[in-house]
Amino acid sequence: MTSRPRLATEVNYVNGIAALALFGVLAYVFVTAGLEPPRGFGEGSVVASIGYAMFDLVDLVPDAHGTTEGFLVAFLTIAVVLDAALDGAVMLARRDDEGDSVEAATDGGRPVETADDAPTGAATDESSTEAETAGGDA
Amino acid sequence: MAIITEYYLLLSAAVFCIGLYGILTRESALLFLMSVELMLNAANINFVAFAFYWGNLTGQVFSLFTMALAAAEVAIGIGIILVLYRNFDGIDVTEAATMRW
Repeated sequence: MTSRPRLATEVNYVNGIAALALFGVLAYVFVTAGLEPPRGFGEGSVVASIGYAMFDLVDLVPDAHGTTEGFLVAFLTIAVVLDAALDGAVMLARRDDEGDSVEAATDGGRPVETADDAPTGAATDESSTEAETAGGDA
Repeated sequence: MAIITEYYLLLSAAVFCIGLYGILTRESALLFLMSVELMLNAANINFVAFAFYWGNLTGQVFSLFTMALAAAEVAIGIGIILVLYRNFDGIDVTEAATMRW
């Protein structure tokens, strides 16, 4: 494991060429698309209009900002999705053994190398971590 | 003097291709997540650029929802990475090749 960022030299250059080719195709299409100058937004606060559109207050959006539909249902759906994602993340991150309280391991949970002067707190952490992963060599 | 839309599209294509290269090259799951974020944000740049192009706010509002969806995706992704680290003692995505182990 590296202790500082290093330049990756053993990369696959075919992937880079493929990504560059995709960029070339996209750039060619975009440049030759013949787009008009942007219309832009007229007078009025764009941020305020975003807020109005997000809460179905489309009557308050000025005409210079175009016809905007309401997004209240999408807003609530995203709120539910974020809540479900938070619950899912907590469910995934919870350890299987709920009984013992695990101290906060700042080393990412990696099994600690046994040293002669290891503090007792680290030793208990190590034993609990090793019992779970069962892959340590200490 | 407004910036023409082609420049935004070129920036978006560049960000997308950087993310694609990261996904094709990297083996660490955390860098995978970062690359997916790059590709999602390339789509956001397109949303905002075309909202300005048409003078319509819908693209800007939708890019906000895309950001919230990206946050939810990252929360689940980091949870998956934690499980990956516990079961494989590392976050190399090429080691976790089967659905069950």
